[in-house]
Amino acid sequence: MLYRTAGQFKTSYYADHALFPVRQDAMLLGFILLLAFVVFPMTADEFVFKALLVPVLIYALAALGLNILTGFAGQLSLGTGAFMGVGAYACYKLVSIFPEMNIVVAIALSGFFSAAVGVAFGLPSLRIKGFYLAIATLAAQFFLVWLFEKWAWLYNYNSSGAIQVPNIDMFGVTVAGPNASAVVQYYFVLCVVSLITLLSINITRGRIGRIWKSVRDMDIAAELVGINLMKAKLSAFAVSSYIVGIAGALFVFLWRGAAEPVLFDIPLSFRVLFIAIIGGLGSILGNYLGAILIVALPVVISALPSALGLPVSSATVEHLNTMIIGALIIAFLIIEPHGLARFWAIIREKLIMWPFPH
Amino acid sequence: MEFLNSILVKPFSDMFAAPDFLIQVLWEGLVAGVLYALIALGFVLIYKSSRIFNFAQGIMVVFAALTLVGLHEKGVPALLAVPMTLGVMFLLAVAIERVVLRPLVNQPDIILFMATIGITLFLVGFGELIFGGENKVMITEQLHIPTGSFEFEPFGGFVSIEQKDVTAVIGAVLLVGGLILFLNRSKMGRAIRALGDDHQAALSVGISLSTIWVLVWFIAGVIALATGIVWGARAGVSFALEVIAFKALPVLMLGGLESVLGAIVGGIAIGVLEKLFEIYWGQPLLGGNTETWFAFVFALIVLLFRPQGLFGERIIERV
Amino acid sequence: MKTFLKKTLLPAALLVGTVLSVPAIAAEDAINVTNLSYRTGPFAATGTPLMNGQRDYMLMLNERDGGVNGVKLNYDECETGYNTEKGAECYEKTKATSIVTQPWSTGITLQVLPKSNVDKVPILAPGYGFSPMTDGKVFQWAFNPPATYWDGASMILKAISDGNVENLKGKKIVLLHLDAPYGKEPIPLIQAYADKYGFTFLPIPVGVKEMQNQSAQWLQIRRERPDFVLMWGWGAMNVGAVTEAVKTKFPMDKFVGIWWSGHDGDMKSVGEAGKGYRSLSWSLPDSNSQVMQDIKKYVVDAGKSQIGEGEFDWVFYQRGVLISMFTVEGIKAAQEHFGTKVVNPEQLRWGLENLKLDEAKLASIGMSGMIGPFSTACNNHAGHAGAWMMQWDGGKFAKVSDLLSADQDMIAPLVEAEAKKYAEANAPWPVNEECK
Repeated sequence: MLYRTAGQFKTSYYADHALFPVRQDAMLLGFILLLAFVVFPMTADEFVFKALLVPVLIYALAALGLNILTGFAGQLSLGTGAFMGVGAYACYKLVSIFPEMNIVVAIALSGFFSAAVGVAFGLPSLRIKGFYLAIATLAAQFFLVWLFEKWAWLYNYNSSGAIQVPNIDMFGVTVAGPNASAVVQYYFVLCVVSLITLLSINITRGRIGRIWKSVRDMDIAAELVGINLMKAKLSAFAVSSYIVGIAGALFVFLWRGAAEPVLFDIPLSFRVLFIAIIGGLGSILGNYLGAILIVALPVVISALPSALGLPVSSATVEHLNTMIIGALIIAFLIIEPHGLARFWAIIREKLIMWPFPH
Repeated sequence: MEFLNSILVKPFSDMFAAPDFLIQVLWEGLVAGVLYALIALGFVLIYKSSRIFNFAQGIMVVFAALTLVGLHEKGVPALLAVPMTLGVMFLLAVAIERVVLRPLVNQPDIILFMATIGITLFLVGFGELIFGGENKVMITEQLHIPTGSFEFEPFGGFVSIEQKDVTAVIGAVLLVGGLILFLNRSKMGRAIRALGDDHQAALSVGISLSTIWVLVWFIAGVIALATGIVWGARAGVSFALEVIAFKALPVLMLGGLESVLGAIVGGIAIGVLEKLFEIYWGQPLLGGNTETWFAFVFALIVLLFRPQGLFGERIIERV
Repeated sequence: MKTFLKKTLLPAALLVGTVLSVPAIAAEDAINVTNLSYRTGPFAATGTPLMNGQRDYMLMLNERDGGVNGVKLNYDECETGYNTEKGAECYEKTKATSIVTQPWSTGITLQVLPKSNVDKVPILAPGYGFSPMTDGKVFQWAFNPPATYWDGASMILKAISDGNVENLKGKKIVLLHLDAPYGKEPIPLIQAYADKYGFTFLPIPVGVKEMQNQSAQWLQIRRERPDFVLMWGWGAMNVGAVTEAVKTKFPMDKFVGIWWSGHDGDMKSVGEAGKGYRSLSWSLPDSNSQVMQDIKKYVVDAGKSQIGEGEFDWVFYQRGVLISMFTVEGIKAAQEHFGTKVVNPEQLRWGLENLKLDEAKLASIGMSGMIGPFSTACNNHAGHAGAWMMQWDGGKFAKVSDLLSADQDMIAPLVEAEAKKYAEANAPWPVNEECK
């Protein structure tokens, strides 16, 4: 009923290829944007911003980057955390060398550094495939984290080896650093994430996106129809690492406020990979659904016992939390290996039919 | 010139200047390599028979070692605790096959890989819930593993070789030998190899998939216990042990995902080389701690020349 | 296709989140003290007894005296697993309700430190965290009593040189440290000492992944043949280091750890072989002291404690008790000064800044001799208390030195420089100008 598509006629190919061939989709999106831009900022308190909204957006962005590489171009990567680190450290160096630079520019530029590193570590993908490639990306992961630890120039020879985000103003408003307010940071992240999502949708729907998909589905066939594999794979590494790098810069500058190298270690990579896979590989919507599940769930679970007044020690809760997340990952993989995005697609199909079965 | 000297000449002159030290370095590398090889072997067995890249091998090592120590703490005699731990590992194998693998048959590799990460998280939480997070002492003496050390004085220096490391190496050799015999000579072993060669063909001649999977995961559990005992005797048993699973990954790259021999040769090669690199190049020139990435970068370079690893099956692209 | 439909689930998550984050309304006469504990993860072994000690002291006060001057203490924990990300989340969750933040890891401390000026909740990091935090003019909201890592490094150098650092001239000293902000803390100070007194200083890092596999580090130590090895180790790293030291035949009496490397639980797994190993400690366990006997009576024997067998006598358990004492004494001082019962975080800040723990005070709370006397001030947030050398005798740690004291002439300039650097990097950073 709500999702009835009857009566929406397409009279041209152009209309058929529109971003929202079904009018209700556009309305739903409008509603969600209204929620994100107006309702949440008015209702959420600082904890909700810092522990739920902002991390969900940033993790979703990182997963989006990974998804372009793994879901669209078919190259499995386990080094996402380290590429986020490259973005974060690049942004930190840019801000400390050019204090006058606008933070948006610094973040946009830092993505190029991680893109370059991504391409360098993507080169082996021309020879290596499958799990061998996945392990090869681990080389990037471990090497880069080691470098963050050892290369004192990266953290300005600071004695603790950690980076601290200074207070950064943009047009008179503090957007990063300890003095920034949570709402401002939320809006900043939301705008960046929306913009990049929009760009990604267009890239993946366009020519490059189709090239990536053909490489993913069968690289030899793709090569035979005249696709340059090297260009296709490396461009996927570049775009993916660019987005991941920006997510890393946001991660440190707009959310965490300080970072030590261990932060970018393998658990972060896995976390982003979980989000991409549980959300659905080869989907853009999925990254958001996955991020909501993986980021918000532990927060909610760990708050449950005290909210319900159960006398469980916080350590036990943490153990249970780990177990539940593990079990949920397995359960989701069994129920819907194609991820939450497919889940939503099925629901939507049902809604379009409803209440008539045929 | 100075620079070239420090990377090309000095390390080697250091090696010859203190040969006793070099022997010690090589021995330490060898012992570490044997352990990497053992973990890699667990991966290879599972990969061979089910195409699952089993990330949970590391946590299985911790889990097996913790179960052993935990049972002993509860008052079970050490020599009885070992078979009981094996029983627990068998139950774990059955549970994994029933709950996780069976519903996921025929899914893409990456989904199965994620599922094993799910198993890892679950076991971490479960293990900490039951055994607590403290560092435990491996029951080395109760298992009659000698704990002294042999000392030699070659070239006027000294080399100390721990008896438990020797035991570890001998144990690993016996285990691997037994495994190779089992795979090549027994009916079950041949079934595992058949499954690895061609799933469909193996199924059509009546090999039971679920039996073999349980068996393979159980063998991986046995290897995990052996690794846990050996590594635990060196450094205590705690969840921090889990990270050694990562050490097995470059071994797999180097040796090839399907090759038992590759896991062993690759493990030892990486153990020795990373130690040599760390001591003679990493520490003086790069600020140390190169062991975290050396193995990966080394394997990556080898792979650029041999994409299937040193002993992996040759990749034939069919269209 | 559908870009942002993704957020359909958000309202639900948001709803749950809002409900859960509503601060638990504090009972009329109670003070919330939330500890960012870590009883899980790779460092759980060292964390658990500390958390138990903290918890049991607060419980004991509630049982024995009905709290502090009639105000109950609501001790609570938020589990971080020593993970910086979880720690930051716990901080956000607890800052509205807890009167003090105990971040428990140098990483989490660095994360919350810049926010302390904005959120106005004091940070209590006893014996850890960023050493320059002792400069209270710059770090108005951070406290690291009773001594900083730099105090610790200075005392260790004094102890190994038999009281005169000049004796170290020409010697070689290795610092075996965890490759994390915590382990790197003492490097600038020891380097300054090395430059001034002419000894060779070599830091050897141990990666978090290498904690249990330190053979490369100890091979390096064997090659370098240092005169002393100092250790800034934590959790599983301590056991690994001592085991390897035994194997390498490094003389145990030349091997000295900071106060977090002197954990009975760690040393138990080495046993006799670790005999002679020394560790600096700013706390002395005394199971017969008044306070410990009261804890035994009201908490342990009443079955309310979570401690394991033998843990009661451990250095770390009793150190946990002392750490809770700092908070409680801060509350008491604030109550007296402001004439109120339920103090708020800002008042507690004043209390922590005016701690006066002299011999008489320590005796009155039944802690005589368990900690060196010290007092804090607006320009001295650490107190720079002394510490003792403890030696492992194969079964427990025993005191082997008098109360040592740090050489503030070496430390003070470095504190000032580093604090200034921090304030500049984080400008605009408010500095307490009233404090002289």
